[in-house]
Amino acid sequence: MQKMFANLFGSIGRELLSFYRSEKFYFVLGAMAIGAIIPLFVSDYVVGEVLTPMIIFTIYASSWNLLAYSGQGSLGHAAFLGIGGFASALLAIKLGVPPIFCLFLGSLFSAAIGLLIGLACVRLKAWFLAMVTFGFSVIIVTLISQFDTVIGGIMGFPTPLLVERGLAFYYMTFALATTSIFTMYLLMKSKMGLAFRAIHENELEAKMIGINTAKYRLLAFVLSTFFAGLAGGLYAQSIRYIQVSVFDAYYSFLPLMMVVIGGLRTMEGPIIGSVIIISIESYLPRIDPIMQGLMGPLFPSVSNVGPPLRMLSLGLFLVIVVIFFPKGVSSLLHKIHNYFREETKKANNIERK
Amino acid sequence: MSGLVETLLWGVVNGCIYILLATGLNIIFGVMKLVNFAHGQLLMIGAYVAFTAATVFGLNAYLSILVAIVTIALIGAGLERLTFRRVLGTDKLNEIFVSLGLIYVFENVAVLLWGNKLKQITSPFQGLGLSLGEVSISYDLLLAISVVTVILIALFILMKKTKIGLAMRATSQRSDTSMLMGVNIEKVYIFTFALGAALAGAAGALYGIIFPFNPSIGALPTIKAFAIIMLGGLGSIPGAIIGGLLYGIAENTAVYFLGGIWQDAIAFALLIIVLVIRPTGLFGEKGE
Repeated sequence: MQKMFANLFGSIGRELLSFYRSEKFYFVLGAMAIGAIIPLFVSDYVVGEVLTPMIIFTIYASSWNLLAYSGQGSLGHAAFLGIGGFASALLAIKLGVPPIFCLFLGSLFSAAIGLLIGLACVRLKAWFLAMVTFGFSVIIVTLISQFDTVIGGIMGFPTPLLVERGLAFYYMTFALATTSIFTMYLLMKSKMGLAFRAIHENELEAKMIGINTAKYRLLAFVLSTFFAGLAGGLYAQSIRYIQVSVFDAYYSFLPLMMVVIGGLRTMEGPIIGSVIIISIESYLPRIDPIMQGLMGPLFPSVSNVGPPLRMLSLGLFLVIVVIFFPKGVSSLLHKIHNYFREETKKANNIERK
Repeated sequence: MSGLVETLLWGVVNGCIYILLATGLNIIFGVMKLVNFAHGQLLMIGAYVAFTAATVFGLNAYLSILVAIVTIALIGAGLERLTFRRVLGTDKLNEIFVSLGLIYVFENVAVLLWGNKLKQITSPFQGLGLSLGEVSISYDLLLAISVVTVILIALFILMKKTKIGLAMRATSQRSDTSMLMGVNIEKVYIFTFALGAALAGAAGALYGIIFPFNPSIGALPTIKAFAIIMLGGLGSIPGAIIGGLLYGIAENTAVYFLGGIWQDAIAFALLIIVLVIRPTGLFGEKGE
């Protein structure tokens, strides 16, 4: 046991050291500095309505991505977002647990439900699992509506505040997101992450080299639902209100969209995707009046052409990204980075000559 | 008692629409190994096409089914050529992503073209029905059931008796070997997708005659059609037919006994239970 722990910490230490020495370290440091400084220069509204959701959905999208690493996909991740949110809010209101513990208890509860669902369907293939999770997100709405007298989910209820909204809440979310993503990074660098990748590449071969695929797929599912639950608890806090609409299919597709647009199975993908999608959703509605003026007369059957046009372009965007940039925006950034590295190498060579 | 009989009848009609959708999905999956989550949106567009044909061009509601079938088949062929062919054979998740993007595209195109309000195709037999004692059965339901039966028989003949049907069955077993035997796989794929889409279009036109519809009706039928395929077993058309009927009846009986809120949940609960006990479906083959 002791040896195992020593090994584990040894490997984490090694990972940390190699991370510190690599080029990535500076990028991460830069990104974190940007994340920490920006809220100081923008209005409270932007911090509360744009930046905080960005961070929360980064956790949520990363949790989805973690599942994708192991070759699985979920179309009902909103179920776990909602369970995390409801569980943490209810624990605080009904049992008087301090909100900070509620956040983690809520995520644990979400992971426990994830374990149950996972146990039922680890044997299923990718799209079967996607279907079952979607089905589960429909069933959970019915269950919450059935026990409405206890939960009160249909009308919704305000969530107890953990910290004051605004900068304090932003920095707390930021710290939690950084920790979560760093944990996922270390997980993916560990033996477990290797197993996830192997299962994604070829499950049969993974089984052949002695990986217990069922165990690792279940593990991926449980971990993913834990982080989704954490995001749910934070989301309920950030909008200060929780309602059964959190289980909408929209919230199930959101992480998927973010991950695909950002870059599937990359650590930075969910972050980039979340920044892109949340910015689009927050700022693009402002050009709705212009679009109405331009395109309105063409489509007389809709009163406001803005929202459907926006959704239409988002859908087209997703299709185009999948077909032409299967690795998402992150691959573009990698290309740019590589280009500059080549250039500096050339420049160095010239200097040496 | 009469309530129960009517519930069962509605279950059968619901089931018929699901059968068309599920059979289309199943053919596409069987031949191309492709998962199209935007299949229900083809149903929705089919309903709107039939609606336009019936109202703008004044066509008989049942003739407009043909218009829907042809239009949706063409849309399906275009879709296969432009989007799915490019991601076929890459990561399985890519197909799911493309079809999710298409869901957004179709739903919002429908909103832009036809608006958000509920619509329904007016049938020439509206309000007319066969009365058998206490139970009255509207002609529309009977016609819907017979239309589905005719389509399924035609499909059966196409699959078993024609050359393209043979090519499709061969491709579904072994695509590389059938390519070696001189089957033009790309042609088969495009035909298969168009055929599956046409079935969805027919289902949509029938849906539009029986139920009111709006641009967002497509999502749940897709998921239910998938559930039916899994109940019946992947790639098995008889399985899809039995699964569709069972599913439609189970759904309507659940509403009758438990209340409307259970309509969607009970069906998924059923699905989850079946999958947990028998991951390959009720009539599916073992393994993949």
